[in-house]
Amino acid sequence: MVKVLIDGVEVEVEPNSTILEAAEKAGLKIPTLCYFPGLFVEATCRVCVVELSGTGRLVPSCVFPVSDRLSVETDNVRVREARRIALEAILATHRIACQSCPRKGACKLLELCREYGVEGIPVCAECLLYGGDCLLTREEACLGPITNAGCDGVCLREGKPCVGCRGPIVSRDTVREAVKLYVGYGVSLDMVLSRFSVYNSSQPDYCRIVKLLSNLAEEERHNQGV
Amino acid sequence: MGANQWSLMDKCCDLCRHSSETPCRSYITCAVEGPLCHDNIECREKRRFRISEIKNGRNGLKISIGMGSCGLAVGARGVYDATLRELERRGLEASVIPVGCIGLCYMEPLLEIHKDGLPTAIYGRVEPRSVGEILDTYLEGDVSGASALRNRVGTAKGELEVPLLDEIDFLRYQVRWVTRNCGIANPESIEDYIVYDGYRGLVRALESKPEDVIEIVRKAGLRGRGGAGFPTWLKWSICRRAEGLPKYVVCNADEGDPGAFMNRMLAEADPHRVLEGLIIAAYAIGASYGYIFVRAEKPLMADRLERAAEDARRYGILGHNILDSEFSFDVEVIRSAGAFVCGEETAMLAAIEGGRAMPRQRPPYPATHGLFGKPTVINNVETLAHVATIMSDGWEKFASYGTGGSKGTKVFCITGSAARTGAVEVPIGITVRELIFKVAGGVREGRRFKAVQIGGPSGGCLPENMLDLPMDYESLTSAGAIMGSGGLIVIDDRNCIVDIARFFTSFTMAESCGKCIPCRVGSKILYDTLTRIIEGGGSEDDLRILEEVGTFMKNASLCALGQTAPNPILSTLRYFRDEYEAHIKMKECPAKVCSKLVSYAIEGGLCVGCGLCAKQCPVQAITKSGERLYHIDASRCIRCGQCIIVCPRNAISRR
Repeated sequence: MVKVLIDGVEVEVEPNSTILEAAEKAGLKIPTLCYFPGLFVEATCRVCVVELSGTGRLVPSCVFPVSDRLSVETDNVRVREARRIALEAILATHRIACQSCPRKGACKLLELCREYGVEGIPVCAECLLYGGDCLLTREEACLGPITNAGCDGVCLREGKPCVGCRGPIVSRDTVREAVKLYVGYGVSLDMVLSRFSVYNSSQPDYCRIVKLLSNLAEEERHNQGV
Repeated sequence: MGANQWSLMDKCCDLCRHSSETPCRSYITCAVEGPLCHDNIECREKRRFRISEIKNGRNGLKISIGMGSCGLAVGARGVYDATLRELERRGLEASVIPVGCIGLCYMEPLLEIHKDGLPTAIYGRVEPRSVGEILDTYLEGDVSGASALRNRVGTAKGELEVPLLDEIDFLRYQVRWVTRNCGIANPESIEDYIVYDGYRGLVRALESKPEDVIEIVRKAGLRGRGGAGFPTWLKWSICRRAEGLPKYVVCNADEGDPGAFMNRMLAEADPHRVLEGLIIAAYAIGASYGYIFVRAEKPLMADRLERAAEDARRYGILGHNILDSEFSFDVEVIRSAGAFVCGEETAMLAAIEGGRAMPRQRPPYPATHGLFGKPTVINNVETLAHVATIMSDGWEKFASYGTGGSKGTKVFCITGSAARTGAVEVPIGITVRELIFKVAGGVREGRRFKAVQIGGPSGGCLPENMLDLPMDYESLTSAGAIMGSGGLIVIDDRNCIVDIARFFTSFTMAESCGKCIPCRVGSKILYDTLTRIIEGGGSEDDLRILEEVGTFMKNASLCALGQTAPNPILSTLRYFRDEYEAHIKMKECPAKVCSKLVSYAIEGGLCVGCGLCAKQCPVQAITKSGERLYHIDASRCIRCGQCIIVCPRNAISRR
């Protein structure tokens, strides 16, 4: 058995265990994303990084073996910053189509993004957690597909359309995905835009996003031959 | 040279018992100084005659032609053929040796002639058609046309006007320690290597205990020459103590950095030295099998190493019971499939095992848990060559070069806009300024020094005021560059720093294996951001993105490829921030390189109306306006710069 210091908490663990296992024993939670023991442990997502105290080195806790008197910090500024950028990088290459995603909102990525303040996942992902029908099927001009998730607001549970209070997602791919839904369900884009202006007209990028929305809608209509 | 000719490696008479099945301890020394077990004038004479033939050529005439990959690329093969032809025409019998590269890349192809009684002369930039003339004048005793001489004899015409090789600036500051045989010995002959004191280190190592070998390397202070600078002895002793059999040694000859070719040069010019180092390393850690992992793009290097291993095996220097020491070791040359990431040690191990070349998280380190899960030592080509030389020449001499923490010599490759390009071996601790301005002769004529990129795409860019930095592991790392493999790319004022940073980022982006998020996505984000800046769409925020993502990659990437990939950007942001800002704020490229940010115009006063530019323009953007003047239509111009090249009056300017 070796003694390890995790965030100042001393625990005794087997000599060949990982920092993640030691942290679990110490009752601390380190977020993971690509870690599936017995199936895939390759330390590729780098969300579970922790800092080796005193060295400033960030190491993935899921595979890094403990050694005697090893001291790590699991939640300092540098660690949180690294995790945030890792999540942003994952989102940058993630096809965000929560409405059609089989996970139906039960999504670890969403959870972590919310925890680390990463924007870019639409409200739909959260809405799906509460069940119920998508408001777009009732041709409601819901702003969920183009609004940042994280509000956990009352509208989600009440079945009210989203009014976009957490600000728009500016990623072109996400907006394209949203426009596909709007055009597909026959939601009027004018209604969407007028609702959008309620909270977002003071956004610095307001004009740009409106233009993007209209252009993409035009494109989508053209594609569908409407 | 006939194949059936007696060589030093063969038995001198029936009394000699050495063969690969019944090895003899004193085989190597016996071959050169022998015979040792019996006394026979004839056998002794036979050896003496053969040694002089190797050193001075058949009939006292020896012609060596630099035929490394670099020489071949500029036509050394033609020079070689022409030499054979010219000798035949004159009815002369001589040894014609295809030697490796001596490091004088800017002088290739090189031809060296030695004739007993005349000084040995080196001719640079030789063309096949001038070989006959060179031969004639040299044999007449006139060396005035040579580029350099190896020695002065005092009998030849024009001898005093030609500088000695050791006195020309490129070689004056060098200490040729591991590159001593480069360009001298025939790399395809084990006999040559033994004549030039080869395999003595191996003999000495086999005579001592493995622990003592590690101790000698420790005293020498040798650190890995592949980039990270980990002490070689420490790696060895961890591996020696590690549990698990068999143990392996791997020679990392996967040299992929643009602008670095010292490993290729060493392995092509002196493959036996690398092999010798590998056998010594195997003996020190107790390994029974080894691999040499060669980059597939360097086929000559792989061929030479394969040939060396084959020859060594034939004469009992490799294989079972090496030189009757009861130590057995064999080696296999593996050609990589050609990914840059294979140079990373864990990715290389995965490739040797037959998998996809992807690194894995360390620890556990290969020294305890490496190839096929067994303890493995991985050393770079240059490191192993150093090991062989340390064992033969003693650690004291090696440790007398270098600085406190970084001992010995290092081969650096100077490329880019340097006046003299090539590979140089200098003591570690020489300043960057000395290396560039004294050894390489500064930048090419008419240009101004701007920066130097040290350590390839993983290294950093240093400006002029950092040039007094000594080239050792610690100093370079603290300045934001790395020693890396030791490639120096000299950048002049005609290059845009942002463009260069983007070039290196595009390289690492393409070569990222894609396993971990920071490297796979981070390098793409960096590349896209730089492209935006270069195309004039950059904002202040972009510099923050570069720094944030770059630091993240540096801290959180899985392997050294990702950890060092942002170095070119982070170091240029540190030293050349004004150039980034000019692109972003003023939307202009100070070096006039980034095509989206420059415009072309014809100065009316200088234009003579010849119309060459209009003919050259690929998009017909240049039209005649008025009597003699030409005019560039900015909306059609693609900014290729062709018009500037053809204009005889320099009337076209970039703005």
